[in-house]
Amino acid sequence: MKVLILTILAFLLGIDNVSTKMFRRPLLMAPLVGLILGNLQASLAIGATLEIMWMGIGDVGAYMAPDLITGTMISTSLAIMGNTNGSISTMIATAITLAVPTSILAQQLLVLIETVNCSLNGWAKRLADNADVKGTYWLTWPSAILYGLACGFPTFLALQFGAGAIQQAINDLPKFIVNGLSTAGSIIPAVGIALLMMTMLKKSELWMFVILGFVFSSYMKLDILPITLIALVFAFLYERATREPEVKAVAGNTGEINNSESQVDEDAEDYDL
Amino acid sequence: MIEEKMIAPEHKLNNRDIWRMFMRLNTMRITLNYETLQGVGFMRAIAPALAKIYPDKKDLSEAMKRQLVFYNSHVNFDAVILGLTAAMEETTSPDEKDGINPLKTGLMGPLAGLGDSLIKFTWLPIVGSIGASLAFGGSIFGPILMFILYNIINMGMRYYAVSFGYKKGIDFLNNNQQSDVIQRISTMANVVGLMVVGALISTVIKVKTPLKIAVHSNVSSKVGNNVIGVQTMLDKIMPGLLSLLVTVAVYYILKKMNGKHAALTIVIMMVLVVGLTYLHIL
Repeated sequence: MKVLILTILAFLLGIDNVSTKMFRRPLLMAPLVGLILGNLQASLAIGATLEIMWMGIGDVGAYMAPDLITGTMISTSLAIMGNTNGSISTMIATAITLAVPTSILAQQLLVLIETVNCSLNGWAKRLADNADVKGTYWLTWPSAILYGLACGFPTFLALQFGAGAIQQAINDLPKFIVNGLSTAGSIIPAVGIALLMMTMLKKSELWMFVILGFVFSSYMKLDILPITLIALVFAFLYERATREPEVKAVAGNTGEINNSESQVDEDAEDYDL
Repeated sequence: MIEEKMIAPEHKLNNRDIWRMFMRLNTMRITLNYETLQGVGFMRAIAPALAKIYPDKKDLSEAMKRQLVFYNSHVNFDAVILGLTAAMEETTSPDEKDGINPLKTGLMGPLAGLGDSLIKFTWLPIVGSIGASLAFGGSIFGPILMFILYNIINMGMRYYAVSFGYKKGIDFLNNNQQSDVIQRISTMANVVGLMVVGALISTVIKVKTPLKIAVHSNVSSKVGNNVIGVQTMLDKIMPGLLSLLVTVAVYYILKKMNGKHAALTIVIMMVLVVGLTYLHIL
């Protein structure tokens, strides 16, 4: 029964991924799985790990990203179903191990659908020839169902036949491999962070903000939210300081003044915490 | 002629038509194919508006065919182009229709880049980091907050941008000051994003080494009495130093490969970590 509900969820999320795009990130999908399987805590930890691991992933131009929907659904569900009495770190280890192959395999299905979709061109052209606006309503339905199946079907297969195998594998594997994968669970997100930095570090001088955020977090033990607010102040100042030359003469002065003011603001924020 | 320009064009489309365009915009990417990419979806999204603009069947058929060309942009900025195209279809005279597609094609590239950098690589990671750090603490509030923050921009912008593109799009694009504003916002978002990323390095990535160093001491001369953990020493230098080093190393490796093979990197790292755990280095 739970497998069926998860399959329907995967079907809907698969359609959402190519239309409204409201749930397309691991952190938004994993808790839904956790609610269905009755283990919210584990799903939160898994979702957060996968979220950061896949953070910089996105299909830019012709490069197609791994299919996060199927990957997240299968890996989260199997990690929770296959570790009925396991610790959360073992579940995370299972999830990240499964996430990579499943998402890459599922991606091939999407490529297939996009090829099949070429047949829609002829249909759309006929509709345009007849000026049939009402008929255009049905254009998206076949592909939508295909996309849903592309996520739902692999999920069903994996959950129906995979949960036992995963349980078996975790029991049979040597201890050091399971431990090693658990350790990897807290190191692998570095890939997502690095990918993200690649898109954001347009100039080398921006490294200082990475260091700044790191220091706020590691030495001062601030949470992400206050750091975000402090970051807004720095972003404002940096933008003022590097503005185009025409207004630089004016902006430079105000920037100076703001700088001393914000320094005080920032200290006040630190004392607040 | 001049007087004609002074009078704002009477909008043929009302809010209900904008809503219909928005609803069809949501399903635009479903028909993505390798021949015209989002062309079919774009035609489908604008069809109800065209039906209202062109009462004559022959004109309508012409217009629908015109919109069936190759098209691809970022989903949230499709909205602007959609509204703008509707406005162009409505306001241009019959012999100006050839100018619609060049405008569409000219806009889709830059706006796709803007959408990717602003939404996919800045806004989504920022809300994702905030959500993930709350979720690591075991709070259900993390994903909920992320969902709300992300969709305020994602869905809200789509609806607003259709009507904006339709009503003010042309003035907006001719106004150079606006592009400056977008440039500023993206610079600021970049800085915020990078600081959040820096914070994530120390909170999310946990690299600890169980290595111990036995230190010979002249006083007790017993080996093993003075065992210093390497991790303790490293924490004295800088908390989270190893996390930072690992991230920077991965960054340079990925940069060498131009960001491709991320999945391969993950697999290789897994194997490495398992190996190092076996050797009791991690």
